[in-house]
Amino acid sequence: MTHHTSRRQMLWAMLGAWIVALAVGACGQAPAAPAAPTTAPTAPTTAPAAPTTAPAAPQGAPIKIGCSLPLTGAFADTGVWVQRGYEQWAEDVNAAGGLLGRPVELTIYDDESKTENAVNLLNRVISVDQADLLCGGYPGTAAAAQMAVAEKNQKVYVSMGGHMASFSQGFTYVFGAPPLMGQWWYEGLYGWLASLPEAERPKKAAIFTINNPVGAAILEPMPEKLSALGIEIVVNERYDVPLTDAAPLVTKAKGAEADIFFANGFFPDSVQIVKAMRALDYNPKLIAQGVGSIIPAWVEELGADGYYVFSGTAVHPSLPFEGISRLNEVARAKYNAPVAPIYFIFGYAWMQALQRGVEGAQTLDQTAIRDWLKSNQITTVAGTFTFDERGLPPPYNYLTQVIDGKVELIWPPEVRTKEPIYPKPAWGQ
Amino acid sequence: MLYELAQSLTGGLLIGGALAVLSVGFSMAWGITHVLNVAHCAFAVLAAYLGYWALNRWGIDPLLALPIMLPTFFLLGVAMHTLLIRATARRAHDPGLATMVLTFGLGIVIENGMLLAWTPDPRVLKTAYSALTLQVGPVIVQAPHLIAFGLAVITIGALYLFTERTFMGKAVRAVWQQPMGAALSGIDLDRVTTIAYGMAVATAAVGGVAMSLLYTFDPATHLSWLVYVFLVVILGGVGSILGSALAGLIIGLIIGISSVFVPLAWNNLVLFGLLIVLLLLRPQGLLQR
Repeated sequence: MTHHTSRRQMLWAMLGAWIVALAVGACGQAPAAPAAPTTAPTAPTTAPAAPTTAPAAPQGAPIKIGCSLPLTGAFADTGVWVQRGYEQWAEDVNAAGGLLGRPVELTIYDDESKTENAVNLLNRVISVDQADLLCGGYPGTAAAAQMAVAEKNQKVYVSMGGHMASFSQGFTYVFGAPPLMGQWWYEGLYGWLASLPEAERPKKAAIFTINNPVGAAILEPMPEKLSALGIEIVVNERYDVPLTDAAPLVTKAKGAEADIFFANGFFPDSVQIVKAMRALDYNPKLIAQGVGSIIPAWVEELGADGYYVFSGTAVHPSLPFEGISRLNEVARAKYNAPVAPIYFIFGYAWMQALQRGVEGAQTLDQTAIRDWLKSNQITTVAGTFTFDERGLPPPYNYLTQVIDGKVELIWPPEVRTKEPIYPKPAWGQ
Repeated sequence: MLYELAQSLTGGLLIGGALAVLSVGFSMAWGITHVLNVAHCAFAVLAAYLGYWALNRWGIDPLLALPIMLPTFFLLGVAMHTLLIRATARRAHDPGLATMVLTFGLGIVIENGMLLAWTPDPRVLKTAYSALTLQVGPVIVQAPHLIAFGLAVITIGALYLFTERTFMGKAVRAVWQQPMGAALSGIDLDRVTTIAYGMAVATAAVGGVAMSLLYTFDPATHLSWLVYVFLVVILGGVGSILGSALAGLIIGLIIGISSVFVPLAWNNLVLFGLLIVLLLLRPQGLLQR
């Protein structure tokens, strides 16, 4: 092989590596983050849109509601559940007499899990379709990009947002109802730890955080929050994915004698970390995990090794809010799901928030809807919310723990479904 | 610090073996057939799924499923080379680019096939030895890591012996080193490249099973594995079997060392920094003449 050929091949290699790196990077930018909230919104009291009596049929021209969701591509698995939540809401509203007495009509485009498509499609919804109302996009990267479009066009936009940064742009028409906030991820954990006697709390924390915007959002408040609890951070590092070897993380934490371990990552890297913890027989009093341990695959794939891990969520099928049990039944009957998936509940709740705004303002005028939402309390299947000037409710998130193969609610106490297991039992027990 | 270093180095070395066996077929196909098979890791992930399926559906350990997977993947590689690669390369103005685009598309097709068959849910292989460990002094060695390394030693060793000791292997080497000369001496280029391609895809199956012992996987995982494959091949030298082995081990060691001495977030920076330096100093790779 000539030197010339070799150099040419190297160029091909660099080109190939670059393409792959771009593709992987793009995949990693907008992870399909499951929701993880922390302190509780007040228990909702009014009913969701589950029709009980036979109301008058909606009349007049339909209210057009449009948006885009990732129905194919990397985030389709979750995007489809958001779509189902939207459609269930529309079905319920129309069965209950419509919105302002008119039927609602959903148009949901497939953005193929691409943010640029999400932006273009929302522009189309606004300017070509001339939709009366917008529904929110997914995941956080798409929602954050669409928030700017909605704000520019002065349209109310309810979604999970793209963490705190997306709600700190000075936008006035955007709402997180509920939002998905990395910064609030461990709110429930902090609350529960504060409830423990000081002597029982962990003393030393090892924090390992995935090197992306979601990880950064989760990590942001941790030093201050842990310090307030009297927990010293002995290791605090970020890692890139794919994580080649989890053993160094575990040996660092073990060497520093950390008794609380934060794995602020996603499913694949956190699975590796848990496997390495077991292999190296490192058993801290508490393992907290970011995004990953509340999805069914965690228990299905890790089995008992995945038990006793704490995490967070913003919605949960066991929450005592009105309408949740019905969504569980719908998910079982329509989709053969054991309970309502988190993003099914999310989608339904976002549309309910929009509905409350329209019904409260009694008009489709966007500014009137916005102003009503900002000055009133609303109730959804995800809880009761008020909003600040950014469109955010007060910080909250629920604490979860995997116990006997189920994701149980631990904190706050009024939503608790099981007593927490703490300290963590030894591996294999 | 010493314990951390020993633990990280051991882990890194064993992981390096898995990276090597994942990469060796890619390197061989590229060197011999001049086809950059971007679908290589998609085949590896497919093998990981088949191993997972064998274990969870029939209780057959993925290692025991390998004897069935190897000839199957060999035939897949032969079919792919005969029906797609060769036909495309003959008609294309730029065969290198055309076949790369072709294999990229094939990778996407395989990925979508896996999505349909197994959903996008991530999978974890849980074998009887997943939680087993071996204590060597203060260092704990995980059994799956050791087995993945063993797979690498056997596969790469067998490939090396094949190219050094058999007539067909020597023909493969001849085609790699001087295709024109090989053709003039009577070697059937099509036959040799097709067989080499089949073997390359068969090693992807071994690499996929080895990686699945260490990592979670889903249909899109092949793209992240491909990054490491490129790194190994560039470092080791295109087409070099021993180069892939050496490069895999070096990369594993670098990961192990850098995990202890530099922040974890810098690991990739160290790795790719090394790649740039190497390309400047030795663009043909470590073991390519």
